[in-house]
Amino acid sequence: MTRLDLQVWGRRLAVMTKKEFLQLMRDAVLLVFIVYAFTADIYLAASGVTLQLNHAATMVRDLDRSAASRELLGRFQPPYFRLDGELASDAEGLHRLDDGSAMLTLDIPPQFERDLATGRQTALQMQVDATNSVLGFLASSYAAQIVGGYGLEVGLKQLGVGGGNADALPVVDNRIRVWYNPNQNDAWFMGISELLNIITVFAILLPAAAMVREKERGTVEQLLVSPLTPFQIMFPKVISMTAVILLGTALSLFAVLLPGFGLPVKGSLPLFFALTGLYIFTTAGLGLFAATIARNLAQVGMLTILILAPMLFLSGAWTPPEAMPVWLRQLTFVSPLHYYIDIAFGILLKGQTAGELLPLIGGMLLLGGAVFGFGLYRFRRQFG
Amino acid sequence: MNVQRVVAVAYKEWREIVRDRLFFSLAFVVPAVLMLLFGYGLSLDVENIPFAVVDYDHSAQSRDYAYRFIDSRYFDFKGYVRDERELGGLLAQSRVRAAIVIPEHFGQRLQAGRGAQVQTLVDGTFPFRALTTKGYVTAINASANQETIAQLLARAKGVPVQTAREAVQPVRLEVRYLYNQSVKSIWSLAPKLLMVILMISPPFLTALGVVREKESGSIFNIYSSTVTRGEFLCGKLAPYVAISALNILALWLLATLLFAVPFKGGFLFFMAASLIYVICTTGIGLMVSVLVRTQVAAMIVTAIVTVIPAVLYSGVLIPIPSLGPSAQAIAHLLPAMYYTNIVVGCFLKGVGLAALWPDVLILAAYAAVLFTVGFTMFHKRPVS
Repeated sequence: MTRLDLQVWGRRLAVMTKKEFLQLMRDAVLLVFIVYAFTADIYLAASGVTLQLNHAATMVRDLDRSAASRELLGRFQPPYFRLDGELASDAEGLHRLDDGSAMLTLDIPPQFERDLATGRQTALQMQVDATNSVLGFLASSYAAQIVGGYGLEVGLKQLGVGGGNADALPVVDNRIRVWYNPNQNDAWFMGISELLNIITVFAILLPAAAMVREKERGTVEQLLVSPLTPFQIMFPKVISMTAVILLGTALSLFAVLLPGFGLPVKGSLPLFFALTGLYIFTTAGLGLFAATIARNLAQVGMLTILILAPMLFLSGAWTPPEAMPVWLRQLTFVSPLHYYIDIAFGILLKGQTAGELLPLIGGMLLLGGAVFGFGLYRFRRQFG
Repeated sequence: MNVQRVVAVAYKEWREIVRDRLFFSLAFVVPAVLMLLFGYGLSLDVENIPFAVVDYDHSAQSRDYAYRFIDSRYFDFKGYVRDERELGGLLAQSRVRAAIVIPEHFGQRLQAGRGAQVQTLVDGTFPFRALTTKGYVTAINASANQETIAQLLARAKGVPVQTAREAVQPVRLEVRYLYNQSVKSIWSLAPKLLMVILMISPPFLTALGVVREKESGSIFNIYSSTVTRGEFLCGKLAPYVAISALNILALWLLATLLFAVPFKGGFLFFMAASLIYVICTTGIGLMVSVLVRTQVAAMIVTAIVTVIPAVLYSGVLIPIPSLGPSAQAIAHLLPAMYYTNIVVGCFLKGVGLAALWPDVLILAAYAAVLFTVGFTMFHKRPVS
């Protein structure tokens, strides 16, 4: 290949890329939504969503009405619990749980204080609305801590061991330190994972749609009779969409996440953007692959949901991969998001360097190359 | 409104859908596949947390203590690590998500009857998992301490260990998980998956169906025909509502038969309420299709207004009361939350119209508003 050939090749690529940009810029509604998704949507997700047990509405039925029962109930405090008053009957409790105005009820049996004083074991009954299993678990776990701590205090006082002072006993004090996000600030997690979701949605949909639109309108025939190679037809779509999505990512980082939520960027931002570009490229390959299967946009739309929804849900951000069945966990290895999520959180929150992320980058490169190559192969077979 | 013309439009649309075999099969395959993938993969149970131990003490006590974690089904023991530097690397690379560090003299202090300290490090990248992990660690630590004290007491006072155990734990916490007795997450999840899937797929089908006519220009046939706006919209949307209604049934069968989720409510009420919901989400698709001109924009806008809200603001992953004020406001503005109440009520709580009528009413009103707005904004004489 001579220098001139190379120049022509580059020129063709540039012209096609410009064409893609122009086409995108002319769809005003789409542009508005792209900006909306990268700013307002991320802001809403980061500011509004928290996954913690927060002021769980608690109703009590105190049949003892003693100093001891009040003392124990008084320990169910915000931020986890919020005492919402007393229940007149068991039926009212059930009713409150049914209509969702209470999340849990606590029942203190009669003679609670007397049983405690005489050293007989007594019980605090708790009914939890476990329709959300995570919250049900957290509520019972916090309640167990409260009741256990209270019981130990009372028990030790009565037995006269250690003067009720736990320090003089051979107990283990387990100090828990949370790394990378010491206060479990949900805004950081939600903001970043929402950003990754949006990047993924666009990275799949935009190139796939751009490709299929040519097929549907028949303009692909024009491109095919031109001296362009299939690569020169497919690649500019990916370049232009990658550029747009990278711009959006920069917008949401510098306009929303950094100033709005104090997200600490521990690692290198250039590295983050470079790898984001690589991720978009890889994911775009998946979209192009879908585009080679579909004949019209409606089909590509359904196919992308089929690719997108599992990617987003099973990426490992929401559901721990450890808890998935083995076959599904192995399936996540073909999802680029699986690698990118660790990369993004690793750079932004953990401050990892390119060297430490090498296996993940390698995985993504391999996957991207394979998918893109396969898409190209199918495209050639279809039109070549 | 002329019924014959409505039927004609609906029939034409139906033929068009059926002839596009890939699209037609995807319309049924996508919801079912999503249900299967999520049903198996979307487990929020935090289990098998990869975990390591740094033991500087190497005593019998430290091994016993570590064993309480190693033995637990919540932790997946990855082995002993030499020191904290090595541990830092493992945590950064997400090879382990939690670790305990047992200092020197741990066993000595305990044997001397004094308290000892242990440090737990938790990866806080995913805050909700970090919280649950903290819950497990605290619970395991507390039970270890109770055991130690009980044994100490038993020896000191010469009582059986069982009696001593009861004495240090005078109050038991009896938890009853309502609606989901075994806290199985699939029970609470599957009904909500119905909500998510029916939120995503009907608008996609509808928006694509309507915008396709706009983009390909075949809508000019409608513009120039005697069909009125209302007739066109009714006829156009009817097949999509029908497909979605079949999907409700298919998803319901998957939930009850495959995932064995109990269905305690009335079937007819459930189907009727679901139909209203599907009409509602179809209305969202209609709104989108009126707003946008291209199918690309239709897909992106639908993805953004349905997928993300269906996941974040519907109570499927995060319960509504745990959302922040702005997110709660969004949740109340969207139909997903109301239908979540209905599915959860029908499947797990066994409540019917008596308890759920406000939600059904809101959904119906929602559908009415969407269709009215869609109707008024759809013009047979395009402005430009």
